[in-house]
Amino acid sequence: MALPPPDPQFVLRGTSAEVHTLHFYCGGQEPDYPILFSGSSNGLIHVWNLKTRRVNTILDGHGGKSVYWVEAIYGRDRLLSQGRNQKICLWDLAEGRNTVTDSVFTENVGFCKCSLLKVAQGHWLMAMPGKDLDEVQVLELPSKTSVCTLKPEADAKPGMPMCLKLWQPDFGSCPFLLAGYEDGSVILWNLSGGKILSRLACHQEPVMSLDFDSEKMKGVSGSSEEVLTVWSLDEQQNLKVQKTHKLVNAGIADVAIRQDKKILATAGWDHRIRIFGWKNLKPLAILDYHTATVHCVSFSDHSRPSERLLAAGSKDHRISIWSIYNPTSGALHCPLETRKPD
Amino acid sequence: MAVFDTPQEAFGILRPVCVQLTKVQTTENVERLQAQLQTVSDSALQELQEYVLFPLRFTLKTPGPKRESLVQSVVQCITSILSTTCVKKQDLLQELFSELCLCLSSPSGLQPPAPLSEELKLTVIQALHVLMHSAYGDIILTLYQPSTLPHLGFAISLLLALAEQEKAKQIKLAALKCLQVLILQCDCQEHHRLLDTVETRQCGNLFASFLPGISIALSRVITGDIKQGHMVTVSAIRLFYQTACLVIADEQLATITQDEEKPSVEQSRLSELVIHRGPDWVKSTAGKLSLLIHKIVEFASLHPHWKVRMELVELVYHLMLKCSQSLVESVGHLLKALVGLVNDESNEVQSKCREILRSIAERRTVAENRALADVLSENLHSLATALPRLMNSQDDQGKFSTLSLLLGSLKLLGPKVNIVLNSAAHLQRLSKALMQVLELDVADVKIVEERRWGPEDSLGEPLGSLQHGKGQKKYFRFFIDERIFLLIQQVCRVLGYYGNLYLLVDHFMGLYNESVVYRKQAAMVLNELITGAAGLGVDVLHERETAVSTEDLKGTITSILEEYTDQANWYLTTSIDTEGTSDELTVKHSRVHALPRGAHSSSLISSSSPSSDPSPTIRSMNSNIWQICIQLEGVGCFAYVLGKEFRLLLASVLYPVLEKAGDSTLLISQTATGTMLDVCHACGYDSVQNLINANSDYLVNGISLNLRRVAHQPHASRVLEAMLRHSGASLLPLVEDVIRDVLSALDQFYDDRASSFLGVLSTLVAALVQWFVVVKGKEHPQEQQSSTSSQKQGKGSVITPMVQEVEQFFLGYIKQTQIAEGNLPAMEEEEEEVQAPPPEPEMNDTGAEGETPLPAHAQIAKDVMERCIHLLSDKSLRVRLKVLDVLEFCVIVLHLHENHLLPMAHRAWPALVTRLINDDPLAVLRAFKVLCTLAEKCGDFLRRRFSKDVLPKLAGSLVTQAPVSARAGPVYSHTLAFKLQLAVLQGLGSLCEKLDLGESDLNKVADACLIYLSAKQPVKLQEAARSVFLHLMCVDPDATWLLLNEICCPLPYEPPHPSLQPVKLGGMGRQRTEFTDNVLGLLGELQRRETAAFQAGPQEAPEPQPPSLTEALG
Repeated sequence: MALPPPDPQFVLRGTSAEVHTLHFYCGGQEPDYPILFSGSSNGLIHVWNLKTRRVNTILDGHGGKSVYWVEAIYGRDRLLSQGRNQKICLWDLAEGRNTVTDSVFTENVGFCKCSLLKVAQGHWLMAMPGKDLDEVQVLELPSKTSVCTLKPEADAKPGMPMCLKLWQPDFGSCPFLLAGYEDGSVILWNLSGGKILSRLACHQEPVMSLDFDSEKMKGVSGSSEEVLTVWSLDEQQNLKVQKTHKLVNAGIADVAIRQDKKILATAGWDHRIRIFGWKNLKPLAILDYHTATVHCVSFSDHSRPSERLLAAGSKDHRISIWSIYNPTSGALHCPLETRKPD
Repeated sequence: MAVFDTPQEAFGILRPVCVQLTKVQTTENVERLQAQLQTVSDSALQELQEYVLFPLRFTLKTPGPKRESLVQSVVQCITSILSTTCVKKQDLLQELFSELCLCLSSPSGLQPPAPLSEELKLTVIQALHVLMHSAYGDIILTLYQPSTLPHLGFAISLLLALAEQEKAKQIKLAALKCLQVLILQCDCQEHHRLLDTVETRQCGNLFASFLPGISIALSRVITGDIKQGHMVTVSAIRLFYQTACLVIADEQLATITQDEEKPSVEQSRLSELVIHRGPDWVKSTAGKLSLLIHKIVEFASLHPHWKVRMELVELVYHLMLKCSQSLVESVGHLLKALVGLVNDESNEVQSKCREILRSIAERRTVAENRALADVLSENLHSLATALPRLMNSQDDQGKFSTLSLLLGSLKLLGPKVNIVLNSAAHLQRLSKALMQVLELDVADVKIVEERRWGPEDSLGEPLGSLQHGKGQKKYFRFFIDERIFLLIQQVCRVLGYYGNLYLLVDHFMGLYNESVVYRKQAAMVLNELITGAAGLGVDVLHERETAVSTEDLKGTITSILEEYTDQANWYLTTSIDTEGTSDELTVKHSRVHALPRGAHSSSLISSSSPSSDPSPTIRSMNSNIWQICIQLEGVGCFAYVLGKEFRLLLASVLYPVLEKAGDSTLLISQTATGTMLDVCHACGYDSVQNLINANSDYLVNGISLNLRRVAHQPHASRVLEAMLRHSGASLLPLVEDVIRDVLSALDQFYDDRASSFLGVLSTLVAALVQWFVVVKGKEHPQEQQSSTSSQKQGKGSVITPMVQEVEQFFLGYIKQTQIAEGNLPAMEEEEEEVQAPPPEPEMNDTGAEGETPLPAHAQIAKDVMERCIHLLSDKSLRVRLKVLDVLEFCVIVLHLHENHLLPMAHRAWPALVTRLINDDPLAVLRAFKVLCTLAEKCGDFLRRRFSKDVLPKLAGSLVTQAPVSARAGPVYSHTLAFKLQLAVLQGLGSLCEKLDLGESDLNKVADACLIYLSAKQPVKLQEAARSVFLHLMCVDPDATWLLLNEICCPLPYEPPHPSLQPVKLGGMGRQRTEFTDNVLGLLGELQRRETAAFQAGPQEAPEPQPPSLTEALG
């Protein structure tokens, strides 16, 4: 029996431009409301109050050029945003301010989103595309000193980095970087040595996005072709393809694994958001709401699992918010669902 | 009269009389003594008291029968002596006491009282009364010794017997009064010695022996014949509680210990009489008293005289105050009386009750006394158990008092109510009782029947502005009286106020989900619970310790609202003829399965099954309607409770409410409108309009999500309609987004959902007209055309007509000057010149200019118009009619953007023509109106098409219809054919003018209309036909003149010179015909216009008559 597809919990409108990136901040305690940051193609960053579902503030700091990465830092008071005007801005949002306090100039003109990793209290590492086309630079924040520059050897020719993911294993202190490249390969970098640990050619087309689960030591990547690939990292730091999933329509713009490592969401060029069980890549649901390409998906980090949300930003100027596969909502609202993912 | 102050003098006077009386005991002697006594001062008499009393007492004591009159006068004399003196010797007091008592007893001594005259009885009672008052200081206490117990007992039993058995009210009252004195509770003005605690206890001990007798006798008096008068009952009640308070006051009993030595009395018989008030005794006594109290309460609370009821309240008060522990068993009865009298019809009683209830509550007697709370909760339980039965059997008054009782118990329990609620059985009882009592009467067919017609009145003006808490008048199965409902409301609110909100809400939510039978009632209770929990509109006796926090309230309300607006509870079948009911239901069904929510699911499915019954009964629909209304009222309540905090919930609530505001069932839409107002006030918006405007983003969200579901599309479109109707142009950017959704939904379901979407579309384009055409027109009346110049896209298209206008003005001016100079251009030339411009727009039409981007509103109108073109040939007449309406609005919106309008008009034309010439008359009528608008906006662009496709047909139908209407009777004006004729005639004139028709077409029009100038035609048609000619006069005055004169020529036109041929017009010299009147009127009008134009500016106006004459002749 064909069951009706689930609906978004609500839809945020008013960006009046394509939405390229989303970032939740739900860490605050009660009087603080959960926040969603959205960056859109007209260079504006909207700060949404998820309680009232309305825009709280609009930040304009990228000269009308599209914003394609935002992430909160220092709680909700600071925000990093990366725009097409080759600038990464640090915003001060405390006490209702909205000023750019610092910025980094990136010499890269690509679309590669930065990646941020907290290494210690008050210290972060930020990976960003470097000056040369195939180069990735890692900065230490807040000092902005360059930690290392990761450049593949001349004969490797993986092309431009397309997506980055910094991570740190639970036991070791040494952070790693996973980068997806234009030629469809995913490379694992060791930051301390600046060396390639492993390279996996898992796609024919450029890797559009990837996400990594440092508990299970496996990650997922999507490209412009109709394949979703799950790969794992073994003890010897080798990347291996674990599973691939064939999609009907080509093009995955974004992938995101939920914090509890139970489900995976993908943003499709075919206007659809797909939900998979992370354990075995079982397709769980297809969320069909948008009328144009979905650019990004993001899971909220709300402390109460029942209030965790999924947000998707699309070319149709809308941000859809979904409440899906939450523990308290019990059984699932999904067409493909047969049992709860564990 | 001389007063003898000294005892010596007094003695001198009194001695002879006393001696005389001792010797001869007659009434006369007694009276003499009495008379002498008057002359003696009080102090002297006090000295001689015993002396004087002696002969009198002697008289009483003389053995043998005595005359009653003698006894009476003696007793009177004693009374008068005692009233001015005091008894200082305890012997004397006791002796007098027993002597007086003996006067009343029968000689046998067994059957008191003796059959004596009433006067005597009264005198003796009064004497006793006076005696008690004259006892000096502590002396009185000597009467209350164990040793005097028999005497006292004798007196009391005598008095009780009198009070009970006598007929005379006076005696009864006097006896009761005397008893009161005897138990040392006299309430007279005189100063009484107050007893200390030890003495009180002793008296208490003593009276314990009499308590059974007194209480039983008094209860008989109280419950005796009502005819005995209220005074008797009142004093009996007073005496009752005074006695009880004396004997079993908690304070006294607390000081009595088990091992307290029995009063040392030598006589064993006496010691048997003395009672030890140990716990056992108290228990058994309380048990017996409880029965009596129950009897008294039952009787007195229904007593017709308010003073009795008042005294009952006093009784309750005193007993509750002093004996609440010892009389724990009776507390139930007592409170019942009190609570029942809270709503007494007498204000005094009411306020007293309230005061006492408050004081009881304030002293926390209940809160601190576990036993009492137990009793109350037990009471509550039994009441709750009995409630449904009582509701079935009692009359409204009875129900009222039963519920008052329930409410009172709850109020008294206060915070302790949680003890009751925590017991599952109690809560179950109580809630079930409420469920049964609140059962609605859903048999009324009218509710289902009453529909809301016309969307216009939905929210604009509040329908009789519903105030909060009023809601719709509900009809209950078990009662009619509105006061009863208010009581139940209070019951729920008090529960919410004191009770554990989570527990209650959870429980009633359970009932709500349990069965459709309870759902409405549970929702009603929930609404009131929340109101009560917020402390609004609740009347309580004492403040609760901790109020529910706003956060908690908000959480609770959110979850209740979630449940209310859940699909299964919000979308219920309320009428049979709703479009798409069937698929709505199936969808709902599948949703239910698709949304299994754990344990919840089974009840959901089972509860929704009645509503998804394929053939809903009137009853079930009626019930559904009420359920929705109650839930809507709940939303209003919650908004009221949360105030501005409710704004946060608007995101989820506003849409469903607004949806219901557009419901076709009158009751629902009214209630929803009321709710909107409540919400509006609560959230601090000035008007519903503001509310909608400020929250349109939430609404848009709801609309867009609901449009995705086939079943909810009609609702969603209704909300959008309401939204459009209430907001301004500022909304457009937000709405634009949704309009796309609507249009795409329409494209998807155009065959079966068209009519519901057309509603939105028509509202939409009407709103667009309102916002962008009418408003702009008002702002810049003269700049209407240039107003769009601010929108740069419109610029090109707007300027062209202006240039043309200027050009035409100059052309016209040149021509006029030429005419003025006598240089007449040929007629053909002129025509050519007029005809010259038309090809231009057609060129534009095909040109690339149509590509210019449009402002958003015009783009929307264009998109809508596009859909309309397709829908113009829909198979349903209703849809076609609606489409024509929408089309008309689209044309109006688009008319400023001719480059877009003309191509659209071109595409719409074929379909429109079909409507005009080959459709239902209704559609023709509507289509003709559209045509008129279109002609007005497009002008000559349509000329050729009109004259080719439409005009022949129209003219033809006018001609064929004319004989019919000429023959028809008065009823004809109500037929569709008539309306059609009228519309065509009314519109044709301006059409000719707007389209700038050519001569042959004008002739066609004139020919067709001429017949309607006949006096045989209905008046309205004649008028309309005249209007056509008036328009024709504007277009071509000369041809019109000639045509009219062919019919009828009023004036002979004498040639100015005999050499000229005489003017011959067809109408000359004709007899008066059916056309004459109208033609003459028209000619007159023509004449007037021409002269006016001539006088206004002879150089500008065309020459009036001569040229036409020449032409006519030529």
